[in-house]
Amino acid sequence: MEPEQFREVFQRLEQEVQKVIVGHDDLIRKVLIAFFAGGHVLLEGVPGLGKTLLVKSLSRALGMSFKRIQFTPDLMPSDIVGTEVLTEVNGRREFQFKQGPIFAHVVLADEINRATPKTQSAVLEAMEERQVTVFGESHILTSPFIVLATQNPIELEGTYPLPEAQLDRFFFKLLVTPPGPAELREILKRTTGTESGEVAKVLPEDDAGTVNEMKQLLRQVMIAPPIEDYVVRLAHATQAEAQNGGPQSSFKQYIRFGSSPRGAQSMILGAKGNALAEGRVHVSYEDVEKIVFPALRHRIILNFQAEAENISADQVLAEVLKRVPRN
Amino acid sequence: MHPEVAREPADNLIYNLAAKLRRQALWDALALLAPPLLAAIYVIALPLGAVGPGAAFLLFAAALALLGALLAVRRRPAPPNVATAARLLDARTAAQDHFLTLATVEPAACPAAFLSRLRRDAGGFGRRIELKRDFPYRLKSSAYWSFGLSLLGALLLTFLLPLAAPGARPVAPAERLRAVAQELGRKPELRQLGAKLLALAARLDEPKMPREEKTAQAEELKKEVQEQQKKEEQKENRELLGEAASALEGVEQQQAGGQEQKDQQKGGGGIDSNLKQEGKGQSEQSQSGSGESKGDSTAQLGTDMQQGKNSQGNPKEPGQEKNQRPGDSMQGSKPDPNRPGKEKNNEQTAKNQGGGKEGSGKEKGSEEPPQGAPPAERFYKTGEGQEGIKNAGYVTVQLPEELAADGKGETRAAKDGKGGRARNQVPLSNVPLPPHVPNAASEKQPVPIEYRGMIR
Repeated sequence: MEPEQFREVFQRLEQEVQKVIVGHDDLIRKVLIAFFAGGHVLLEGVPGLGKTLLVKSLSRALGMSFKRIQFTPDLMPSDIVGTEVLTEVNGRREFQFKQGPIFAHVVLADEINRATPKTQSAVLEAMEERQVTVFGESHILTSPFIVLATQNPIELEGTYPLPEAQLDRFFFKLLVTPPGPAELREILKRTTGTESGEVAKVLPEDDAGTVNEMKQLLRQVMIAPPIEDYVVRLAHATQAEAQNGGPQSSFKQYIRFGSSPRGAQSMILGAKGNALAEGRVHVSYEDVEKIVFPALRHRIILNFQAEAENISADQVLAEVLKRVPRN
Repeated sequence: MHPEVAREPADNLIYNLAAKLRRQALWDALALLAPPLLAAIYVIALPLGAVGPGAAFLLFAAALALLGALLAVRRRPAPPNVATAARLLDARTAAQDHFLTLATVEPAACPAAFLSRLRRDAGGFGRRIELKRDFPYRLKSSAYWSFGLSLLGALLLTFLLPLAAPGARPVAPAERLRAVAQELGRKPELRQLGAKLLALAARLDEPKMPREEKTAQAEELKKEVQEQQKKEEQKENRELLGEAASALEGVEQQQAGGQEQKDQQKGGGGIDSNLKQEGKGQSEQSQSGSGESKGDSTAQLGTDMQQGKNSQGNPKEPGQEKNQRPGDSMQGSKPDPNRPGKEKNNEQTAKNQGGGKEGSGKEKGSEEPPQGAPPAERFYKTGEGQEGIKNAGYVTVQLPEELAADGKGETRAAKDGKGGRARNQVPLSNVPLPPHVPNAASEKQPVPIEYRGMIR
């Protein structure tokens, strides 16, 4: 596949999803970048903003299978990964593995923070290993595979916030913001009239080959060593005071734990995806800067002082970007 | 980007700009370094030309230059490399790091298709660039600072060095004689003469040996040297012997000058003059002490004169109430009705001029010649007769040694005040001594204002 083809497919996918999702162009792009980079996305936003619609539209445009899992406190791991079921075949009884909803190309883990940690762990293991083990038998998940998890930031009662180690496994954390007046008007026009937008398939049904080629192409994008250094410096700048022993900086006083190496990996892969989406075969500083927030905001663990002062991770990252020079 | 890879227009653009930036950096360094170096060279040349090759000045200038060079090396900007040039190109063309990637990525690790596309895209941006127009050379502010500070330093040193540098020290004739003798000693045919010169130089240092004898020996040796010079065929030897003759002449002059000095010392201390003096009222104040001028007041007088003050002492002192204010020194003939002391002073002057005598009664005023030989004879030059100088003035100088000899609690003035001859006490004078005399008094030595016109 050529970079031009990648860009064409990417743009068509964006356009298709944009038919039903209004005002979230950047969100759509980031989700697509994460998909082609082989990562999973955590979507955070209040209910009713079109998170589920986004995921469904995306899977349809990609021509991929889609499953939705509504996470509840009584949800069991077997409800997600599947289980062995005793069945009778030709007069003989035997256990047969029945796949759970995790066996799909696009999985929507709705309100993932409502399930117990045990169930969350089952999903997160599947996300990382891309396989599940049931009764000692491993089952490979379908490829390509992406989990889009959502969580509600305001209803925290009766929830189980994701542990830091599990948050780190998400490639991006994207914030779904409420639409503005113009966008809301457009949403109303599309959803309350007789015309309803239909998402067309951009890729053939279950065309994993094309998707994998595109994923491969993304990794070939060139990145200059000075830009790699910049990524390293950004990731290192998020390290807490006690970890790097550097001079007291205004933003570092709010950080309890900084970015892991996965954060830097996400930045580079995300920047490569952004470069290809913009029709370039090399990463620029701007690509990195566009990716810093979704790649690092869930990887920086803020301390109690930040919470008390109502400092968000995005504010800290904005300060990091300001302080770390490009060269 | 590696040199072995075939270069395309975009690569060439980066390399050309990098080379241009390096040249500009070189000019910047030159513009920064050249002014202090030139100033240092100037400072080195200055003491060589003006005050002789002083090692301290050379070291100072060399240290200055070294310091400047070290600072420039330490504070120099990083030499512009290919990545820097690529960044500049990216910034100029808004190329989103096309040039930076092209300049820094490892070609072997990149897909060929991607690389060729990158080159093509970068080439498109590169067409907007014209190196001469977009990257012209401009002098940095540091160069202007360097030039200004160097100029200031050089100017300061130009004016300060002559003040700091000691004056050229005259070489004593004996030393010169030794130096010439050593030179002669290197020539086998003149070695004997050199030994004689060395022996004479040694004798010159003997204080007990009479001056006349030293002069005679120098004269005798000079003749010998001159004879040898006539005989000599080699030009180098002739010149060397000429130097020896000159050195011997210097010795003779020194001895003659010493004799003159001795004669003058015999004539007594202080300054006497037979010139008609204006404002005599002041100049004779100390003479009219009539027993009131004691030794301590004379000592004060000497101190004041060394400090460039009026020679009449402190007017506030009761014993010297006749003294005049310093500003009145040249207006002594005008009486001041508001100052009784002044009137008294003028009266006293009139008495002195009219032949009136106070104190010991032996005092004859400053017009009287000093003791010893008649003044006219004492100040004639060799070959001049009575008719040679008419209405000539004379001065008698009290030398510092004499003053020191006299100053053990009782000065000549004090003696004079007690009954000796009253005389102006001038510890220093600008009477020029022969130029070859070591430590000859220069004209800059302090001398009372009222004597300057007379001495010159």
